[in-house]
Amino acid sequence: MRQSFSEWSKTGAPWVWLNAGAVAICLIMVVGLLTLIAIRGLGHFWPADVVQATYVDQGNSLRLIGEKVQAEDVPATQLRDSGVDVPEGLESMQRNLIKVGNRDHGGTDFIWVLDDLITDRSKPEMLFTAERREWGNFYGYLRGIKEDGKLVTSYEGYEKTDEYLALWATLEKRIERALDIYSDIEDIEKGRIGSINYKLERLRLQERSLQLKNVTDPAKYKKIDQQRAALDAEYEGLQGDLLALYEEFNRDSVTAEIASGKIVEFKVAHIVRAFLPNDMGLGGKIVHYFAKIWEFVSTDPREANTEGGIFPAIFGTVLMVIIMSVIVTPFGVVAAVYLREYAKQGFVTRVIRIAVNNLAGVPSIVYGVFGLGFFVYFMGGHIDDAFFPEAKPAPTFGTPGLMWASITLALLTVPVVIVATEEGLTRIPRATREGSLALGATKFETLIKIVIPMASPAIMTGVILAIARAAGEVAPLMLVGVVKLAPSLPLDMNYPFLHLDQKFMHLGFHIYDVGFQSPNVEAARPLVYATALLLVAVIAALNLSAIAIRNHLREKYKALEM
Amino acid sequence: MTSEAKTHAIDISTMQRDSRILNLEEETIALKVNDLKLSYGDNEALHGIDMLIPKNRVTAFIGPSGCGKSTLLRCFNRMNDLVDDCHINGEILLDENNIYDRSVDIAELRRRVGMVFQKPNPFPKSIYENVAYGLRIQGVTKKRVIDETVEWALKSAALWDEVKDRLHESALGMSGGQQQRLVIARTIAVKPEVLLLDEPASALDPISTLKIEELIHELKKDFTIVIVTHNMQQAARVSDYTAFMYMGDMIEFGVTDTLFTNPAKKQTEDYITGRYG
Repeated sequence: MRQSFSEWSKTGAPWVWLNAGAVAICLIMVVGLLTLIAIRGLGHFWPADVVQATYVDQGNSLRLIGEKVQAEDVPATQLRDSGVDVPEGLESMQRNLIKVGNRDHGGTDFIWVLDDLITDRSKPEMLFTAERREWGNFYGYLRGIKEDGKLVTSYEGYEKTDEYLALWATLEKRIERALDIYSDIEDIEKGRIGSINYKLERLRLQERSLQLKNVTDPAKYKKIDQQRAALDAEYEGLQGDLLALYEEFNRDSVTAEIASGKIVEFKVAHIVRAFLPNDMGLGGKIVHYFAKIWEFVSTDPREANTEGGIFPAIFGTVLMVIIMSVIVTPFGVVAAVYLREYAKQGFVTRVIRIAVNNLAGVPSIVYGVFGLGFFVYFMGGHIDDAFFPEAKPAPTFGTPGLMWASITLALLTVPVVIVATEEGLTRIPRATREGSLALGATKFETLIKIVIPMASPAIMTGVILAIARAAGEVAPLMLVGVVKLAPSLPLDMNYPFLHLDQKFMHLGFHIYDVGFQSPNVEAARPLVYATALLLVAVIAALNLSAIAIRNHLREKYKALEM
Repeated sequence: MTSEAKTHAIDISTMQRDSRILNLEEETIALKVNDLKLSYGDNEALHGIDMLIPKNRVTAFIGPSGCGKSTLLRCFNRMNDLVDDCHINGEILLDENNIYDRSVDIAELRRRVGMVFQKPNPFPKSIYENVAYGLRIQGVTKKRVIDETVEWALKSAALWDEVKDRLHESALGMSGGQQQRLVIARTIAVKPEVLLLDEPASALDPISTLKIEELIHELKKDFTIVIVTHNMQQAARVSDYTAFMYMGDMIEFGVTDTLFTNPAKKQTEDYITGRYG
């Protein structure tokens, strides 16, 4: 039986379809977004095959070695305009982006080549890729290994033979040795010498502080001098160790043939990782893939943030969000308790409530400007005058840093916590409060022992929303403490361990910096996606842990179901 | 009085009650109410109440909804202070002292005059912590004292045997009747002088109601009990004295037996025979 449209719409079915459709579109968008950044970001770590090919352009033939990164169609007219000879009848031609590496010899990492002009493609198993600390990737044929400038072992030819494999094994062993030495060097430079420098700086400040207080007691100065002498001696010793290590470190070098046929030489010490991409099995590639992902999340960045890892940015983001939460929760809760429980409800509280809600809508950059002007320059300046006169004219807290960034974001998110807490407080049954009061508890005791614990799940909801907002914020942070590259983590082994005055790195700013401020855009692009994916993952992890805490509290203080 | 109406009246003789003859003149007085007027804004809810609450007796307030019986009850521990624009005139004397005097510490007063509400309102804590709450508020920290008091209170509230093995489980997992007895235990744990019960059984099933009524009977040895109830049978069963209130006035107050069998006022008779209310 046919049903008229009006009858059908009366059943409510179209309404259900509309709702379900809206939900489906939301889901598709979210999943699509995550899939896009996941594919673009995670694909970057897969070891691509290295292709050798001949490129013929206007009679010149050129050998190319590199990874194909991207392909796109270019309209023929555009190519003709730029002087390329395009056969009649062709609408467009394919153009490939090839990562040729060897920036120290060719000048650029990436080149665009027309697909039609490439011939003789092959994937020689002997080609090797080396990731280096400087100058980006190296692609070429291994030719020999030198120790102290003298050739130890070498190989000519392009075939994979036992002799070649022996040479490769030697290289791998020497790379491993160099990496071991490197970690020792890192340990001394960043750990021990860093710690000595930190202590020397503190001694300098102590001495300056004595001078400012006009202390003339020579014993005190002498004590500082003694300590300084001890530290200097220790430093000298470490410096000697370092020199010896560097000598060892720079002992070996590699000779290799690059695409142009030239033989070049570079230090084994510069290699982070070397592998034969065309000779790897699936298992080898998977191991390589996860090693690369681990490197990405656990190490410091290299080469203007376009290579290496982003660990300091992850660390900075998480630490900043945690400090922000620690600041914002008590503030928001206390404010909400006053507004809801103590203040006389009326015109003034209504105005305050509207003002608080509007604060949540103020653009975040405005908070950044306020943070810089008020917190950093005004409060920080006065803190420096009062507590750190010895460090002047260098600012301690009078410069952007972790504490000011956390406080600025706490200010940005405090309305969310206030609103959520108030909501929670109004939902506590009157009967429960009266039960406590009837036992002789004062209003304050009732609040502390009954009402606030019962409202804690709502408070956590506020904190979750605050975290979600704060972790993704970039604009205000650029003004109050985030930097492109922080020399050390804000949490370390030097007293007082947590350095609230230090600048820090942040994933959101890292994305902006790598994507738009990088000298090597092509190399950085996949990292933008990978970092974005990681930022989403970090925020999700922070939120999930807050949600877990909330669920635990809900279970504990579940409201009376009556 | 028609014979049909008589069937609605309560036959006191069928209830198991103390056969002692009570006389208000001979009682020790716990609370004395003198010309108590209460208004919410411009709306006067109690129009000058005068009454005596005898010590170690159960006094019931009955009357139709909105007659002011709960409001009067809440005056005894100053719960009405929590209501905005509530104004009170007159006095209530507890040990010859006016509880509405400026110098009265409200928290201290509420320790002496405990209250149990209509719906069970246990705190979202363990059974033990619910009962210990009042003691902890008073600053009692000795574990032995708290343990003993909790056990005594739970035993007094006839709850000990049911919960002694799960003292540290959440109170919210108990049945409604158990929760109400827990609330009573929580209230008597601070050893108040007066126990105010605001329709304590109205949200409970008949079995739980019976247990609460038995409990009230037991508790009157140690406490002065004032109970508000909708249920006239309940008032007749548990109380020694009954006050009938109507539209903010105390219509009749006297010994329960007399009030139910031989009311002095026409309004009282109409109410207990079910003509209105």
